[in-house]
Amino acid sequence: MSTTVHAYPRKQFFIEMFTRDIALEDCILDLIDNSMDALLSTRKIDIESEFLAQSKGQTKTKSGKAQIRLDYSEKRLSIVDDCGGIPYAEARNEVFCFGHKPDAPKRRLGVYGIGMKRAIFKIGNHIQVVSNTGNDAFQVDIDVKEWAEKDGSLDDWTFPIVKLDGAALKMPAGTRITISGLHDEVKSRLDEGTIAKALSRSVAQSYPFFLGKLVDVVINGDLVEPIPLPWGGSEDVNPGVARFEQDGVKVTILATVAPKERRSQEFAGWYVMCNGRVVVNADKTALTGWGSVLPAFHSKYVGFVGLALLTSSDPSSLPWTTSKRGLNREALVFQRARNVMAGVAKPVITFLNDLYPSDPSEDPGERLVAEGVKQRDFRPLLAEPTGPFTRKVLPAQKKTVRVQFDAYIADIEKIKKKLRRQGLTASDVGRLTFNHYLDTECAE
Amino acid sequence: MSSPTHSYLKVSYDLRPAKQVERRMLIDALHRLNSAGFPITDYQYTGFGSIYFVDFIMFHKLLGIDKLLSVEYDLKIENRVKFNIPFKGIDVVMAPIGDVIPTLAKDEKHILWLDYDSIIKREQLSAVAQATSDLSPGSILLVTVDVESPDGAGPAEWRAYFEAEVGDYLGEKNSNSDYSKSKLPLLNGHIIEQAIKQGLVGRGNVTFEPLFNFLYKDGHEMLTVGGMLVTPTERRKLRGASLDETLYHRTSLSHNPYMIRVPKLTRKERLYLDGAMPCADGWLPEEFELSQEDVAAYREIYRFCPAYAELLL
Repeated sequence: MSTTVHAYPRKQFFIEMFTRDIALEDCILDLIDNSMDALLSTRKIDIESEFLAQSKGQTKTKSGKAQIRLDYSEKRLSIVDDCGGIPYAEARNEVFCFGHKPDAPKRRLGVYGIGMKRAIFKIGNHIQVVSNTGNDAFQVDIDVKEWAEKDGSLDDWTFPIVKLDGAALKMPAGTRITISGLHDEVKSRLDEGTIAKALSRSVAQSYPFFLGKLVDVVINGDLVEPIPLPWGGSEDVNPGVARFEQDGVKVTILATVAPKERRSQEFAGWYVMCNGRVVVNADKTALTGWGSVLPAFHSKYVGFVGLALLTSSDPSSLPWTTSKRGLNREALVFQRARNVMAGVAKPVITFLNDLYPSDPSEDPGERLVAEGVKQRDFRPLLAEPTGPFTRKVLPAQKKTVRVQFDAYIADIEKIKKKLRRQGLTASDVGRLTFNHYLDTECAE
Repeated sequence: MSSPTHSYLKVSYDLRPAKQVERRMLIDALHRLNSAGFPITDYQYTGFGSIYFVDFIMFHKLLGIDKLLSVEYDLKIENRVKFNIPFKGIDVVMAPIGDVIPTLAKDEKHILWLDYDSIIKREQLSAVAQATSDLSPGSILLVTVDVESPDGAGPAEWRAYFEAEVGDYLGEKNSNSDYSKSKLPLLNGHIIEQAIKQGLVGRGNVTFEPLFNFLYKDGHEMLTVGGMLVTPTERRKLRGASLDETLYHRTSLSHNPYMIRVPKLTRKERLYLDGAMPCADGWLPEEFELSQEDVAAYREIYRFCPAYAELLL
C-alpha cells in the first residue's frame, strides 16, 4: 500500500537558513531594488531605451525624479518610496509569496521573489508594509515570532492583509516598509560607525544608471551621490565594443582606458551590470577572466576598465546570484560573455603594457595618448557600431639628449683638484658639474 | 602579455623538411575540403608570416587564397617584415595575435594558424580560446607548439612548469607520470583541446571537429593540431570530404598523432625510390640498403616531400 509523507517547510528553519548567507547591506539593496522595480513598472520605463535616451542628454520619463528614503535608528528601519506602489491584487497573489510563479508579471531587478521577505526577516521582528498605487492600497502587519510559532500546516503560510482606500490615504503613490524590534546583531551593525558610509557607497556603486536621473536615494537625510563608472575617453582612443544576444539576454561589452585620476586598484577591472544594476564591481579575478583568458591582473593594468551590460526582460535569465553581488559563473551566457570580454580587453591590455617600454630613456607615444584620457559617459557607446579598441599611434618621445663638448684638460684637472677626487673621468666631471648646477640653481 | 618571439632567428623557415611535409599535407587536405564544398579559395588565411612568409606563398599559389593577413608583434623588425612581403595582397598587422582575433570578420571564413615555436604558454591558450569563441563556423584553426620538455631535470619539474603556466587546462593530469617525456606531445594536445572547449562555451550548436594531429621533428619535436568549427551543416559536409582516405587525417587532438618521418636519403636514392612509388608492402630497393621502416615512411610522404638544391643566384 502506498501513501504520502509530509515534506512541509518548517518556518523557523526557513527563516534561519534564508537569512544566513546575505549581508545586511545586500538586504537593504534588495528593498531598494523593489522600489526601483515599482518605478520601472508603473512608469513603464524600458531600461535599454532609457539608457540610450540619457546618453543623449534627455530622459524619457515624463514625471520627475522619484525618491527612496532609508532611515534607521536603533528602534526601527524604514524605507519609503514614491515609486508608484504595489497594486492590491499583486500583493494578495504574488508579492508575499516565497518565489515567483512561472506566469507572474516580470520585473527587471526582482528576480527570485525572495528579496523583501529575506530582508525583513533578517532585520527585525515587527514588519509593517503599507503601499498605495493612488487607486488601491493595502497594509500588511507581520509579527515574525508569532508567525513562526504558528506552524501546524501549509495553511499557516499566510500573512494578514487589509485593503485600504488609496485615495483617502495621506501618502503619495508608493510603498512604506517599517521594520521594528530589530534583531540584536542588526542593531549592533547599525550602531557601528561605518555602516552609513558603506551603505551609501553600495547604493552609489550599484545604481549608477538610476541615481540622479530616475531616482534619488536618501539615507538618514543624506542624498547618495552616484559614483560614475571610471570610463575614460578622448579623441585619440576608440573603446572596444562587442555585442551578442543569447537565450533572450542582450549583452554589450565595452573596454577602454580609465581617466588618469581614476587609474587605481580601487576602480580598475570589470564592471558587470544586469538590467542596469552593478553586480560585480571593479573585478580583477578569474571570475572575469583575469589569470585565465586574460593575463593575471597586475598593477600596470590599473588603467583598465571594462563593462559588460546584460539586459533581459526576464531577469531570471540573467546570470546574477540571489544576493545580486556576484555572478553565476556557470551560466552559459556569462561563460560566453567572458570569452568575448577577453577579446575586447586584450588590445587595451596591450596598450597598457606598451606604457612601460624596455627602454626607459624614451616616453612611449602611448603615454601621451593615456595622458589625454578624461572622464566620459560610456552610454553614447551603447548605440555605436562594434569594433576593437584602437588608439592613435604617436611616436615615442625621447627623454634624453646626449651632451658632448670639448673642455680644457687643465680646467678638468682644476675641478678634480678642488673636489679632491683624482680618480674621476672627464665625463664624471661633466656630469657632476651639470648636476651641481641643476641642484643648486634649478630647484623647483 | 606576449613578448615577441624571435623564431625567424632560430631557423631558416623554408629548410625544414618535416614542416614542409606538414604544410603540403595541409594543402592536400584543404584541396579535399574545397572539393567537398568548402570554398577554401574565398577563405582568409591569417598566420605568422615572420620575414619568410612560406605558408603565405604556398597558400596563395597552391590554393588561390587572396585574403592573406600576417600578424607580427616584434616591432623591432617591422620594416624588415614589410620589406619581405612577397605579394602586394598580403596585409601585415603589427599587434599581438590576441588583439587581432576578435577583429577577424565574423561573416568570413578563416584559416587561422597559430604557429608558435615555443613550448606552450597561457597566452597562447588564451588566443586558442579566443579563436574558437570568435571564428565563424566552417573556419579552420591550426595550432602548433614545441612539445620538447620544459627546462628542468624530469617529470616533476615539467609538471611544475605546466601547473604554473597552464594549470587551469590540465584537468585530471595530477601525477608525475602524466608528465613523462613520451607523454608530453599528447599532454599538449589535451591542453589545447581544453582551450578549444573553453572558447566554445555558450556557442550553442557550434563545435570543433578535429582533423589534424601532426607530430614531427626537424630540430625540436613539434605538434600541430587543428580542425574545423562546425555546425551540423558543416559536419555533414565534412563527412563528404575524402579526408578519411588520407593517412594523416586524425579525429582526436589528444590521441594517436600522425608522425611525420622524413627518412634521410640522397637525391639519387630519392629519384630511384620515386620510380617505384607507390610501392607494395614489403618492397625494398635492390640497388642499395634501406630499412623496411624507411621505405614505409618514404612511401607515406614522398608526394609531400620537398627537394632542396643549392641555387647560385
